[in-house]
Amino acid sequence: MIPFFSRRALPVLSASLLLLVACASEPDSARKVRSEGLSDPSAEVEPGAIVVDFKDGTTKAEFDALEKDWGVDLEFNSIEGAEDGITIARGVGDVDAVLAKIRQNPNVEAAEPLEVYRSSYVPNDPGYTKQWNLQMIDMPKAWDKSRGKGVVVAVLDTGIAYEDYDDFKQVPDLKGIKFVKGYDFVNKDEHANDDHGHGTHVAGTIAQATNNSEGVAGVAFEATLMPVKVLDHFGRGTSANIADAIRFAADNGAKVINMSLGGGGYSAVMESAVAYARKKGVTVVCAAGNGGRAKVEYPAAYEGAVAVSAVGPDGTLAPYSSYGKELDIAAPGGDKRQGEAGGIIQNTIDQRDVSKSVYASYQGTSMATPHVAAVAALLYAAGAKTPDEVEKALYDGAKPVGDKAWSEQYGHGVLNAQRSLEALGKTRGALDWNPLLAGLGMLAMVLLSLSKRIRPGYLNVLFNPGFLFSLIVSTVGFFIAHYFAGWFSGGAADVLDATSLPIPDLDRIIFGRGKLANPLFYSALIPVVASLLAVRFKGLRPVVGGLAIGFAGFLGYGAWAHAPALAWMPFKFLAMPWLVLNTLICLFVARALLRKESV
Amino acid sequence: MKIRGKIAFRDLETGIWVLEGDDGRTYELAGGDRKIKRDGQRVEVDGEVKKDAVSIGMVGPLFHVKSYRFE
Repeated sequence: MIPFFSRRALPVLSASLLLLVACASEPDSARKVRSEGLSDPSAEVEPGAIVVDFKDGTTKAEFDALEKDWGVDLEFNSIEGAEDGITIARGVGDVDAVLAKIRQNPNVEAAEPLEVYRSSYVPNDPGYTKQWNLQMIDMPKAWDKSRGKGVVVAVLDTGIAYEDYDDFKQVPDLKGIKFVKGYDFVNKDEHANDDHGHGTHVAGTIAQATNNSEGVAGVAFEATLMPVKVLDHFGRGTSANIADAIRFAADNGAKVINMSLGGGGYSAVMESAVAYARKKGVTVVCAAGNGGRAKVEYPAAYEGAVAVSAVGPDGTLAPYSSYGKELDIAAPGGDKRQGEAGGIIQNTIDQRDVSKSVYASYQGTSMATPHVAAVAALLYAAGAKTPDEVEKALYDGAKPVGDKAWSEQYGHGVLNAQRSLEALGKTRGALDWNPLLAGLGMLAMVLLSLSKRIRPGYLNVLFNPGFLFSLIVSTVGFFIAHYFAGWFSGGAADVLDATSLPIPDLDRIIFGRGKLANPLFYSALIPVVASLLAVRFKGLRPVVGGLAIGFAGFLGYGAWAHAPALAWMPFKFLAMPWLVLNTLICLFVARALLRKESV
Repeated sequence: MKIRGKIAFRDLETGIWVLEGDDGRTYELAGGDRKIKRDGQRVEVDGEVKKDAVSIGMVGPLFHVKSYRFE
């Protein structure tokens, strides 16, 4: 017992401790990520316009007298002007010089260029209003955060109309888009032009030139495309060519591979190519198929691939879309039963004349797939490092359909770019310190619930190294590792990354991130088993006590804040009672272990 | 192998031609000549299923037509 801390001081002390932790709860890494992101593209400086804030109560006559000297024509910004002294002027020649001069005046509180805020980015492409699919995945808001800058997306398809070569012509709405060298695995040359029309359409969904007053928009229009031709002029190819192409793309800098293709049987060669790409940090996105049945086609069905089903404008599964147990996510793929407007419109070539540009409305899981691939590119550009991170953000951000966290028809739900970028910000941006705070609160509760005779001091418990260590590791993980993860790459980074997870999430090392939380790990199981050991070995009691408090904090906070989706649970709402029950069990275990021996 | 069924055009992807087989399966058509493209036509086709074929159609196995007879 630390003698000079009386029991009465305990609530004060615990409160200040909580405060201390709260203050530390925004690590530098979080701030860095935020400032590295786009500053705020929704705000733009209006050329030649300034805003001057005079001292409150400054009259029009007063600033009119100064105007001549400054060479500007100031007006109150609104009827509030007479109160707050905010004025604006347009048509200012040398803004910087004028502002410098204005700031000299003692009556001026602030003077700066006028910024114009838009609700969000609205591209000027004339066909943009027809692209219901972009609204569905919340693109306008997502563009404020990321446009996929510099991320290489390989399109394994019939080729792309990306260059003027032979009788091929670049389609106009890909003008200005960046391309890296690809390959034509059908004709064995370096000119992966499109002689069919499918691949160019798919590429358009990913990176159609946007805000260029031409045609339509694309999802990740600052991404770089890699044209890889694996399908012939009938849109068909072989699994051997595709396997080669996957490795080619992974070896040549692609971060995302889009495969709007499928069929054939299981191919070990293609499966190992997908695994190879994933190991190299590539996210592989594939179409579930157009059979309208419960069978996900290969390559979408392979372990390392993201399998995509298609929804129509009403957000329900399109009649042609395949689905099944390997399905991961749904995206807009079109439904033309009500007409052409229900399809996905992009710029491509006329099937009858490769040099002729058309805007075609297609439907298919091929059209859904590039939406997901493009959002994956947005996520890489926003800081995601691994396919695991990309997938987790894709699935966390997806909008579930119905009350199920996962279904065979929609996987984790319908793609949403905006929410996925937010989800990425949460996983990358900051450690979540809240479970630790909840744990500290629960510790105070447990201690206060004990009678005076057997209650140890709060700080005595807290400063026991065994207790503190297991408390931290079970709530926020071995977080120090987080700060060093950036220094390593490959396997070492993966291991460090894993140790930075709180204990209940450690099963994801085995089963992979981006999957649902495991209800056995999200339970009192681990503390209860550990407490059985502590019955025998008294020295373990503080350690297991910390573990139990930590789990209580983690699960309790989880139940209160977001009730994560648990695997194997038939309904999402069952997660809540499960977490609450297990929190209580953890508290019970902790209470038994932390009491002072009444000897 | 011979399969009987119905030729159909499906407005999927860039447009695909399929055989709705009497065996209950849907095959993506390949080979044959252009005159086989007759929406709704009953047919008996002779040919083979290409096991390693991958396509943009993704509606079912690819059936490569050697010969066919309208019914």
